[in-house]
Amino acid sequence: MLHSILKSAAVFLLILVGFVLILLLPREQKITVFSAFHVEADYPFSFELYKKRIRDFTNYILTEKGLGDARSGRTVREESAIFVLRSIKIILPAFMVSMLLGTLMGALQFYRRKKFTGKLQNFLSWLFSSIPDFFLFIAIQYLLILLMQQGLPHFKLYGHENWYSFLLPLLSLSVFPFLHMSRFTSAALENEMGEEYVRTTYAKGLGDLKALLHMLWNCWSPILNQAQLVMLYILSSLPIIEKLAGYNGAGKELLFSITSNDEIKALSLMLPFLFIMFITIILSQIAKFWLMPKGRP
Amino acid sequence: MILLAITFAGPYLPFVDRELSKITYILNEDKRPVIPPYPPSEDYIFGTDKSGRDLLSLIILGAKETIMLVACITVLRYALAIPLSFLAHKKWMGTHLFLKWLNGMLSYIPTLIIVMLFSMLPPFLLTEHRPIFLLLIISLAEMPRAAEMVKLEFDQISSKEYIYGGIAAGASPYRLFRTYYLPFLFSKLLVYMVTDLGKVMFLLGQLGFVGIFISQGLVQSMGGDWQLVNNSISWPMMLMKAFEDIRGPIWIPFFPAFAMTCAILTFNIFAQGLKTFFTKKVRYI
Repeated sequence: MLHSILKSAAVFLLILVGFVLILLLPREQKITVFSAFHVEADYPFSFELYKKRIRDFTNYILTEKGLGDARSGRTVREESAIFVLRSIKIILPAFMVSMLLGTLMGALQFYRRKKFTGKLQNFLSWLFSSIPDFFLFIAIQYLLILLMQQGLPHFKLYGHENWYSFLLPLLSLSVFPFLHMSRFTSAALENEMGEEYVRTTYAKGLGDLKALLHMLWNCWSPILNQAQLVMLYILSSLPIIEKLAGYNGAGKELLFSITSNDEIKALSLMLPFLFIMFITIILSQIAKFWLMPKGRP
Repeated sequence: MILLAITFAGPYLPFVDRELSKITYILNEDKRPVIPPYPPSEDYIFGTDKSGRDLLSLIILGAKETIMLVACITVLRYALAIPLSFLAHKKWMGTHLFLKWLNGMLSYIPTLIIVMLFSMLPPFLLTEHRPIFLLLIISLAEMPRAAEMVKLEFDQISSKEYIYGGIAAGASPYRLFRTYYLPFLFSKLLVYMVTDLGKVMFLLGQLGFVGIFISQGLVQSMGGDWQLVNNSISWPMMLMKAFEDIRGPIWIPFFPAFAMTCAILTFNIFAQGLKTFFTKKVRYI
């Protein structure tokens, strides 16, 4: 197990370096002023410039012993921590909901697969998983606005100040991963149907529910493999949803810092995201080690 | 079918305003001028945008361009992914390691961020062929994932008995590919590609929100700096101002996003249909 964790850590470091190299590609505008009426803007792009930028960047990190100060006077790290904490409030519940409830829902769907309700659930989850989250978000807001015009009590739909403002982004963000997990779990359980141990369970006189439990325990490997995918999905949709919601979290700031070519800030916001991905992978590996029956591939 | 009908026959429907005429103002009951955008009403079923263009017409006219873009990206992606996956399958010059590394990178960093970082690079920003480069970037960004899937298919097929039969019969590599691999790969590939159409549409939508589009021109503004200007009517473009619109005329981002959802749904239904069609076909042989 230690071996696989070390391997993941090495991959993580490699990816980190790769990301910094992509981030540092020269993209700045150079403005030359000839006179009051003659100004030229140019985007220089050469290998020497790239090398210089990499050198400057390493110097900056070494002299500041960290990421340095932001424009507001606080250190970049403190500032990013505020945004990241705000985003974690969305990311963690969304991840939990999709992993735990999604798996449970999938088991339920498998259990009822021959009944009408199970078929209906299958169809609905297929339908809803085709809806992109940004549309879901806009649709919910449109609906709420229309309802408020009809007399629903008024509350704030945008911003991050209210205690409830993370609920709407959370909802629209977790629908797709949740449905994905539920569909995936039910498919994984269907794969286990023909295994010998299921027959043994029934032969021992245990009921459907116990058999399902046995099967679920054998499905941990593919289910836990999905953790990384679910996290990636949540993280890639987060910036757009945060921006749409006016929720001032790390995702929104990340988009802003990339469009305004602020590499240090972009890095300071992207690092936690990469780190969250890394932790997810490590945790799912550890969980697999504990939960999985020995001797299964 | 409905999507195709709207895409190609849509522009000739009677209620579609083909000129996309702009309305500067209309008078309300009190004879006061009201400037657009107008909310959905009887005259404009989907409402209008900020320059008074009918959104329904805009969506129908934009459909062709949008669908073409999505199709182009997907075809390009698989055109690149299939050779790469074949080389990776053959373990030619460490291609499989390269592919693995790329996939590891993509499983950490969201595609949206990668496309954003690359599309703002000066060489792609300044050329006249920016649309082509952007097409390339977007199709390359998810290409490793597609290549990995195809590679798995290759691996699976080549472990089958009849492939050994083909090799024993002395089939050349080309013939092996053409008559032994392709017939079985073809159906899977088609399903993957149609599913990918939906994913590309989703990505284009996300990019639309950040303001990166395929058909953009670079225009020097009065202040001397360069600005990206849109000269297309594709759906993602209508989402660009979404962050402002969502606080007021929310129907402007709502209906293009709705159109995209419908398109994604159509692609998924199509993929599902193809899948059942092909599995049935194999079963009854």
